[in-house]
Amino acid sequence: MTDVTAVTMKLNGVTRTASAVPPETTLLALLRNQFNLTGAKLGCDVGDCGACTVIVDGNAVNACLMLAAQADGSDVLTIEGLATLERLHPLQKAFEDNASLQCGFCGPGVILSAKALLDENPDPTQQEIRDALSGNLCRCTGYTKMIEAVQVAARALRAKPDA
Amino acid sequence: MKRRGRGIACMWYPIGFTVSANPSAATVKVNEDGTATLLTGTVETGQGSLTVLAQIAAEELGVATDDVHVVSADTDGTPMDTGAIASRTTYVTGNAVRLAAEKAKQILFETAAPMLGVKPEQLEARDRNIQVKGFPQRNVAISVVAHRAQVVMGQPPIGSASWNPPTLAMDPETGQGKPFSTYVYATQIAEVDVDDETGEVEVLRIVAAHDCGTAINPMLVEGQVEGGISMGIGFALQEQILFDDAGRQINPNLTNYIMPTTLDMPEIKVDIVDSYDPTGPFGAKGVGEPTSVPTAAAILNAIHDAVGVRITSLPATAEKVLAAIKAKQAQQTKRIAAR
Repeated sequence: MTDVTAVTMKLNGVTRTASAVPPETTLLALLRNQFNLTGAKLGCDVGDCGACTVIVDGNAVNACLMLAAQADGSDVLTIEGLATLERLHPLQKAFEDNASLQCGFCGPGVILSAKALLDENPDPTQQEIRDALSGNLCRCTGYTKMIEAVQVAARALRAKPDA
Repeated sequence: MKRRGRGIACMWYPIGFTVSANPSAATVKVNEDGTATLLTGTVETGQGSLTVLAQIAAEELGVATDDVHVVSADTDGTPMDTGAIASRTTYVTGNAVRLAAEKAKQILFETAAPMLGVKPEQLEARDRNIQVKGFPQRNVAISVVAHRAQVVMGQPPIGSASWNPPTLAMDPETGQGKPFSTYVYATQIAEVDVDDETGEVEVLRIVAAHDCGTAINPMLVEGQVEGGISMGIGFALQEQILFDDAGRQINPNLTNYIMPTTLDMPEIKVDIVDSYDPTGPFGAKGVGEPTSVPTAAAILNAIHDAVGVRITSLPATAEKVLAAIKAKQAQQTKRIAAR
């Protein structure tokens, strides 16, 4: 049994390798500590709060529950990969315009859960949005303005799919 | 089967305690490019208070909110603040900000008055200009006035002010007094479905009418109300810290300390009541904590309306509601048998 392993992934569109990853390292620890991508938050660390949500091969996952080695060869998107220098992603813009976040700690996870939903289902019902965000806990907002923002972003993305 | 019920609850809540000193202070500096810098010790925790304070300074100075740069929360470089507590920031810190901006504006008026050939009291600040009241075309840009105040008049347009809701001692014999500067009021109505076979309660809809004085930023007020309602729903139905006999918490995690998710949240309608408090900045009072006060009471009243049982301890879990329903049914059966 080897002590460490190499993990290579396509991270926010760029191929990145971590050469010596101890086997117990979670994807969240790798992203935050090795790649300095601190947008995914360490909340409960047991998969309850969703603050660590990232997108792996198109699926929203709790990065605290996935081992880094399991992500080897995967396509990983974190909140840092969503906006460009020029503009916000339509989801981020809708969250900003609708005052959907307050303290913001849950924000990166919520937005990535919503993105995974909209990538699969561009025209979700309100119930489908609630289902998709049900793994992301928020203590501030009551979720109302988040759900509204996802609906706004869905409309914007349907009008301009490349936005 | 599911039984529907509606419940109502009302509350008042105090804003700006007066039983001890409760000051806030601010400095507002108008810059030579027409923007302003606001220094305040208060802390933004996500509720949007810095946005509201920037709006208050902007309104007083006649500039845009985006023109106001807020420097906050560093007590080395900003005035001390009593705290982002007690739903006091908009009301107490807001009053300090408005007064500081007013002082800076007064210097702009004194500088602009000779430029426009009028007295300072004939001037107003609007649309990034200092202009003559009733004659807005007679104006000079705030940037020009601020520059002139600095380099010609030698009186930079800076204002500092503090505000403290007048401290009032209670009557030591009667305990009577005025412990708070002002009060806010709200009514919330909950509509629920209660399953009388399982005791499970589903909140379908909450309508919340809140008097927060004049809402400086209605969207942020809605956010506070919606968030408070989610906390109220957790308080009413889900959230409970459980201890063992030794006083250790046995649910110190989010797996079995259950707080509301998107699936627990009902449709919410927020009604911001038209109101104006003359002691608040531009009529504003506050909204933070009051939002979660009436929610649990409204929900428990709705449970009573739906299935006729009074739950008197929180949270009203399915087990508790079902036990109450069964106790009521047993009592009714006994009455029938006795006849």
